[in-house]
Amino acid sequence: MKRRTFLQLSGMTAAGAVLAGCQSQNEKLIPYLVPPDEGVTPGKADYYASSCRFCPAGCGILVRVSEGRAKKIEGNPAHPVNRGKLCARGQAVLQELYHPDRVPQPLKRSGPRGSGQFTRISWQEGLALLTGSLKELQREKAADRLALVTPQLRGTLAELTTSFMGAFGSPHHLSFELLGMDWLRTANRRSFGQASLPFYDLAETRYLLSFGADFVEYHLSPVQYGYAFGRMRQGRDTVRGHFTYVGGRMSLTGASADRWLPARPGSEGTLALGLARLILVESLFDAGSLTANGLRAETLLHTLEGYDLSRVAEKTGLTHKAISEVAREFATTRPALAMAGESVAFQTNGPESVRAIQLLNLLVGNLNRPGGVYPDGGSMAGAENSFTELLSLVAAMRGDRIRVALVHGDPVHAIPPASGFQEALARVPFIVSFSSLIDDTALQADLILPDHAALESWGDAIPLAGARQAAVGLMQPVVTPLFDTRQFPEVLLATARELGGKTAAALPHQSYPEMLQGWMRKRVGRMAGQDFEALWVDLLRQGGLFETKPGQGKGYRWVPGAPLPAPEAPRFAGDEREFPLHLQVYPSTPLYDGRGAPLPWLQQLPDPMTTVVWDSWVEINPRTAADLGIGFGDLVEVTSPQGALRLPAVIYPGIRPDMVAIPMGQGQRGGGRYAKGRGVNPLALLAATIEGKDPQPAWNATRVRVSRISGKGDLVTAGHPQGSYRSELIGI
Amino acid sequence: MKKTWLIAGLAVAAISVGASMAFMYILPLDFRDRSPIQPLAFSHKAHAGDNGIACLYCHRYAPKSPVAGIPAVADCRACHLFISLNSAEIKKLMGYWEKREPIPWVRVYGLPDHVYFPHMMHIRAKLDCTACHGEVAAMERITRTASLKMGWCLNCHRQHKASIDCWTCHK
Repeated sequence: MKRRTFLQLSGMTAAGAVLAGCQSQNEKLIPYLVPPDEGVTPGKADYYASSCRFCPAGCGILVRVSEGRAKKIEGNPAHPVNRGKLCARGQAVLQELYHPDRVPQPLKRSGPRGSGQFTRISWQEGLALLTGSLKELQREKAADRLALVTPQLRGTLAELTTSFMGAFGSPHHLSFELLGMDWLRTANRRSFGQASLPFYDLAETRYLLSFGADFVEYHLSPVQYGYAFGRMRQGRDTVRGHFTYVGGRMSLTGASADRWLPARPGSEGTLALGLARLILVESLFDAGSLTANGLRAETLLHTLEGYDLSRVAEKTGLTHKAISEVAREFATTRPALAMAGESVAFQTNGPESVRAIQLLNLLVGNLNRPGGVYPDGGSMAGAENSFTELLSLVAAMRGDRIRVALVHGDPVHAIPPASGFQEALARVPFIVSFSSLIDDTALQADLILPDHAALESWGDAIPLAGARQAAVGLMQPVVTPLFDTRQFPEVLLATARELGGKTAAALPHQSYPEMLQGWMRKRVGRMAGQDFEALWVDLLRQGGLFETKPGQGKGYRWVPGAPLPAPEAPRFAGDEREFPLHLQVYPSTPLYDGRGAPLPWLQQLPDPMTTVVWDSWVEINPRTAADLGIGFGDLVEVTSPQGALRLPAVIYPGIRPDMVAIPMGQGQRGGGRYAKGRGVNPLALLAATIEGKDPQPAWNATRVRVSRISGKGDLVTAGHPQGSYRSELIGI
Repeated sequence: MKKTWLIAGLAVAAISVGASMAFMYILPLDFRDRSPIQPLAFSHKAHAGDNGIACLYCHRYAPKSPVAGIPAVADCRACHLFISLNSAEIKKLMGYWEKREPIPWVRVYGLPDHVYFPHMMHIRAKLDCTACHGEVAAMERITRTASLKMGWCLNCHRQHKASIDCWTCHK
């Protein structure tokens, strides 16, 4: 072929391709084979009220459903916790329903544990395997060899699992969550004699002092507190509430503050007592509040003698000026509010530090007052020492005293291996998982009985510390189940029926919705005059039962004779010379404790502070990084006494130079195609520093060292943060 | 000399590219077939014309939904279990039913995603179906009679004093 012809031909081909690309095709119009049921109008959406159970906050949601498919989730405006708002995690729950790797039917393990080889079986076979193993335990009078592991449940699910285990006769029922609020309940019981959670009236306060409470991201009820924070700042004509954040790492919440006090990890309680002493010395306290709580300023001052300014400044690493300014501002601005968060609580001196922070609230007289702290209306009681329960279950499993373990949720990924849980679980001969994805726990399971997705489920969601009034959110199925799955409570009820005897007698309900209705009937007892069937429909339409009046519970009052908080010196795992840096492991903003990792919307959501997408990273102060010769995006190795991980480094000015931080959530071995093998699980680094007789989870008390491996960290960011953070504003 | 030729050539190329782009911009890029061949030779003339079946009898969602809806295969079959069983096209219809396959109709009227067009509001405004869809009752095979361009929409909206706010349709 001649050169000229070739060029002509190729030109013509290119032009043809361009023209063909412009041509629009007639689309296809595919009708139904059989017309849809009455009530479904193609093209017209229905909205169903339900509740979000992604995190314990339990927000109300409205789901848009058209042609029988769930399309969009928004907040329920009638719900007292989130008032029509919803966070990114709540919106992404939709993807759980449509996840391509959902377990479509019961599976039985066919390869070695962890291999992910399963064969599909029917529900009949699956339930027969489960009841068979339980019957065997009953026959051999070994009912206590059954363990049930769940997240911290509330409402009907808690009742159901408790009565199931009680009637079966096994004490090994573990409700554990790494981010459980046990520490706050413990501190409240010690100080105020009630284990309720606090409801902070953020919207009405004028001075907020947060000790590591990241309420914008995940603390207690993030949507509620995010909304309230907005109102505190901009909701009043003349007042813009002031916000001071205490914590070694600047979180998204910290970045919203007016002043950042990067106190040394573990010294927050000392700082709180130092502030308290200053307030007492300068007589800025609320005398009425002290009298009402049966405390005397002189005795308090005497007890706090050791917390003089220079000692506190030395312990916390803050300046005299900053500490005394904050003390004065906090005491003279009324109402002022102090909050304690997870990074404080998960130190070896956690509960006492939290109590010290609560003492500040008492000193400025904002207990049970607008702009202050109230006992939460909804979840008066809850787990207080689930960590001890975890340790005793681990001991039982290690001693081969557990033969069947029923596991709901993904504890294999979400519990630090230092607790020994994973290795102990591996000794259990028969593990049943109820996961709807093959997550890390399901990979170890012998039998998977897949649960419905949240949008296919019945249920109730009692909000955690999100409102002063009691609220019960209801969950209803908004679509017919896509696969051959069954709800976890239905499986328990069916198993109980099959077991017969005492277990069946304790759970007489024919189905879970029936149990839920019965439970709600009891709760609305006061309105019993009405026809319950009609009321039930109303409750479902509304999204739950929301009381308008604040709960009748007792307000906070200092327990007479309760010892004053005395946080001891923090202890850390790892020698200071060998491991010079403190490690903070914090819940990822999009992925929470890892339950968001399977959902691609959350994976591709850039971290709001570092803009990292799809990965794990370690945050290092620029000064420390320069000393260690680490650049942005370098691959580094983080070594703790417990183990070592390799991950990319993010140079982050918002962290103390003696600290590094890693978000949790990634590093899953299972969890579907979007989570699998992505990033690292920082929980593997944590050492279980366990204190004295009363063990406490001290997950933030591990020291590490960091070394550079190579320049190839393969970090993906949505924007390069160096340059967008102005170090002169941050001040370190 | 050669340089001049080169400059002239480049200028011609630039002008022709510019002209073709302008031409493409003016040209309606809608190459969709206005009267596509359908998988089944369904006659609107026979149904709506000769037998006088109302539009909404089959397109039953039009008064209450943004989409008018096309009848499900089961709906077609319900009548044709009794009517003209032996025609070739009805046998084809029954074939789809037996294969449990919906009929892959070819769309004739379509609007881009940034336009919100609700059928129910136009029915509520007592607009006749023919205003947009033409004399369907006389068509053997459906043919698109309207351009479906924004100007065409606005004309009608102005005539009927309907809202011409951007947000009315673009939402």
